[in-house]
Amino acid sequence: MGYKIGIDVGGTFTDTVLIQNNEVIKKGKVLTDPKNILNTVLEAFDFLEIPPSMPLDHITVSTTLVTNAILLNKLSKVNLILFPGSGVRLSSFNWPVKYSVLSGELDYRGREVLPPDKREWKELTQRLSSHSENPLVAIVSKFSHRNNIFETELKAYLENEIPNVHIALGSEWGKSNFYRRSLTTYLNLACTELFSNFRCNLKKAVISRGFNGPIRILKADGGVFPLERIRPVESIYSGPAASILGALAQSEPEESFIVVDIGGTTTDIGLVLGGSPLLSFKGAQIDNFLTHIRSLATRSITVGGDSTIINRNGEIIISNYRTGPAYCMGGNSPTPTDAMRYLNYIKIGSYQKAEEALAELLPENERQALTIRTLAESIIEQMVEKIILAIKQLLTEWKNEPAYKVWEVLHQNLDYKFNIYLSGGPAAGLAKTFENKMKTRAIISNWAPISNAVGAAMAKPTFSWTLNLDTSLAKYRIEETGEQGAWKGAKRPYREVEKFLVDISKEQALEMGIDFDSFKIEPFEYFPLVDNHRTIGQIVRGSVHLPPGVIGRIL
Amino acid sequence: MMVNTGIIFFPAFDWSLGETHPEREERLLYTQEQIFEEGIMDFPQIKQYSPEVADIFDVLRTQAIFPDYRQHDLDAHLIAVGSSIILGKAIIEKELTNGFALIRPPGHHSGATVWGNRGFCTLNNEAILINTLRAKYGLKKLAIVDTDVHHGDGTQDIFYNDPNVLYISIHQDGRTLFPGTGFTEEKGGPNAWGTVINIPLVPGVGDEGFIYTFENWILPKLQEFQPEIIINSAGQDNHFTDPLASMNVSAQGYGKITELLKPDLAVLEGGYSIQGALPYVNMAILLALAGEDYSGVIEPQKLKNMEVSGEAFLSFIHDLKKHHDNVKPNWIFRKEKYFPSGDWVYGEKDIFYDTHWFRERRKDYVRKCNHCGGTVLMLSQNLETYEKGLVIRIPFEACETCEQAGYDLFDALKEREKNIFLQNLKNNKVIWRIGNGEVNFG
Ligand SMILES: [Zn+2]
Ligand SMILES: [Zn+2]
Repeated sequence: MGYKIGIDVGGTFTDTVLIQNNEVIKKGKVLTDPKNILNTVLEAFDFLEIPPSMPLDHITVSTTLVTNAILLNKLSKVNLILFPGSGVRLSSFNWPVKYSVLSGELDYRGREVLPPDKREWKELTQRLSSHSENPLVAIVSKFSHRNNIFETELKAYLENEIPNVHIALGSEWGKSNFYRRSLTTYLNLACTELFSNFRCNLKKAVISRGFNGPIRILKADGGVFPLERIRPVESIYSGPAASILGALAQSEPEESFIVVDIGGTTTDIGLVLGGSPLLSFKGAQIDNFLTHIRSLATRSITVGGDSTIINRNGEIIISNYRTGPAYCMGGNSPTPTDAMRYLNYIKIGSYQKAEEALAELLPENERQALTIRTLAESIIEQMVEKIILAIKQLLTEWKNEPAYKVWEVLHQNLDYKFNIYLSGGPAAGLAKTFENKMKTRAIISNWAPISNAVGAAMAKPTFSWTLNLDTSLAKYRIEETGEQGAWKGAKRPYREVEKFLVDISKEQALEMGIDFDSFKIEPFEYFPLVDNHRTIGQIVRGSVHLPPGVIGRIL
Repeated sequence: MMVNTGIIFFPAFDWSLGETHPEREERLLYTQEQIFEEGIMDFPQIKQYSPEVADIFDVLRTQAIFPDYRQHDLDAHLIAVGSSIILGKAIIEKELTNGFALIRPPGHHSGATVWGNRGFCTLNNEAILINTLRAKYGLKKLAIVDTDVHHGDGTQDIFYNDPNVLYISIHQDGRTLFPGTGFTEEKGGPNAWGTVINIPLVPGVGDEGFIYTFENWILPKLQEFQPEIIINSAGQDNHFTDPLASMNVSAQGYGKITELLKPDLAVLEGGYSIQGALPYVNMAILLALAGEDYSGVIEPQKLKNMEVSGEAFLSFIHDLKKHHDNVKPNWIFRKEKYFPSGDWVYGEKDIFYDTHWFRERRKDYVRKCNHCGGTVLMLSQNLETYEKGLVIRIPFEACETCEQAGYDLFDALKEREKNIFLQNLKNNKVIWRIGNGEVNFG
């Protein structure tokens, strides 16, 4: 096995690691330059001092590039065109972006209820070309995941009228939920240019360093995807995913655990059930955008080692902001890190400064060793309790996942015994408190400070192919790729549908450049379609997944 | 006012009563497609809950399952009940303003004694929920408004002698539709006269007629009764596309009815126009509960039938109401030698189980009482197997005499009968005497 590189771009630091044969060969941290993520990634790469001759399997990058661009609103301008048909009023939703509406309606099986009005298309063309030579246009119709006809027709029309138009279709994000599909299509198109530049420059820079192999980008669902093929918006929220994978790479294969990654200002929490990271049943939300981006079920809370501690009318509170590093590390304000340092839970930073920082929070006449100690302990407790509350919320979310089949309800397995995996800078200082409060084992990995980079390097590719086959209408659709085709098989197929989907998946995985070894098939659902007491066909739903996981376990 | 609407969507995608049966896997498939595509689950005021299996005790408190509940395949039914209970509790605990149990299978044809499935129902979701809420939270007055096109004969059967549960059913006349009951004369037992209201409509009534009846009959009755909770048995077979019935209500009509009724909880009952109606009606009800605009909900098919409306409807409904108000009870008093003291009102009926095509004969005795709902004795016999089953029900808030009467009956009968349920609602326990053994619940 060759060498693998993992780079995780964090808010303050970027972690980097070189791994061979499941062993960490070299690791380190460089400062993140949020204004130049590309440079940060290259610095992290250069830090590892890889000789050009070294056989590299792959480089994996977990980057905040797109997340930041969305949060800071540095996106390209996109024209969102909707075919909402009837139903819920668009105004019932909170739209973070503008849209325009065209007529035309499909029903839940993709059958046309009302045709589009081509006169509107002409007006649209004029409007689009009056603003820009090469407009970006996202077209989304309600039920386009069942029939993309309006979208593809309008696309063809516009491409003919406006030669430099750039179009994205909602059906490419073929899951149910028109609102999310619209926003996801919009976001992905809006960050495409930004990401393309990053893609090109990274590729060039890496090649110039003598490396020609695959570059992989970590996604929110804990999987990787080739740099060339990833849809940009899928790279958001890879940080929390990286920490869960990092823990996974250091755990036992069937272990269940809660991942707690404590950073400077935020703490990310995730869940691994019997060796499989838990995916969120809803798509990710970023800023005001509800999306279809698959992500691991995580909770992020704004508390970390550098959270500023304040005294509000005599009450000591861990705030949700950071003013700089911990006082004991040369910062200006007291932080939980100072409490940990004072209690000797951690050894880095100045003990004396830590004491000073804590004392400052107390009235002058109460600054004795014992009171300071009590204060330090209560700060740690407060921090851990905040995190435990978030853990409980995540567990509740998992237990409350909907079920749509009798079998699922009867076989809900909620009986896991969870350990806690702590990572991030302040992890060591909190382990004992977690063990006491949660009555379970808290594990701190050897690689806690660079756990995320390890997770990125060891992550497997993920993808899903979800089939919706309507034999009565003789159509099939693959949700994740937006593929829609004609079904030529039986009206009432059985197991051959599974093979049909696996074949498609296998072929497309190969074409996308991802391994297709450990795929999982979800039980298929068969719905006999009845008309006038006769069975006239079937709707079949099923999916093939490449679930998130790790290539190997770090020794 | 900001509402919080809970929903449990449990379409039982792996359960059916037969491949081409109306109650099949496909029934809520398009509702799922529609509601999920519309993104309704993303509304901030909507909270999706996950289904759970109900405790069998909660069932047996309300329904006696014969000959042995373990012989019936209850899994799907118990999940439908359990889901209703989850939402009911969340509403009582003020976690939610209201809720929609969008579940299969339905329940309102299932009565106080159960030998099998009838009208697609085995367990009565709403009735079990109501009694569970009374047992757990001490609710005193509750109402069920049944808007399914079929008469909810099971629900009526369960609460017929219960003065504290108002049961109002608006449905297509029993002379033209299953189950053939639900006439204005059926107004409740001797201790609960007037707490059952049946509004049998002629075929063809549409939105206008329904809304008029709600505003002028149903809502005033509810206002007068002052229930602590209103449950809507939300059948959707009044829709003009329904294959089994002949009413003319639209999806928006259902939305309007929901808006008028303001149920605390709507529980899906029937409705078998799975493509033409359900996706739209379910959406309209859910939007109305969540306080959202449902005026954009338009089913692709248009109403083609003749609608009974205007003057014709008004004169029909006024006559019906007048007839209802004028009906006087006519009790038959009868008792057996072993009965405890008091006046016992007797009634009998045959109950048809259409799913497996057999009959049950029921002979009921109610102890007339001025202080409580009165103890009830139900003698049930399966006319196919001739097996017998008995139920003695001591009501919630029973007076001491009635409670004692219940136990006296139990003592008198347990030597000669093999299968007896003693449902003591007052003390929240159930004794099931089967053969020579006794199983205690609660
Ligand atoms: Zn019905
Ligand atoms: Zn009494």
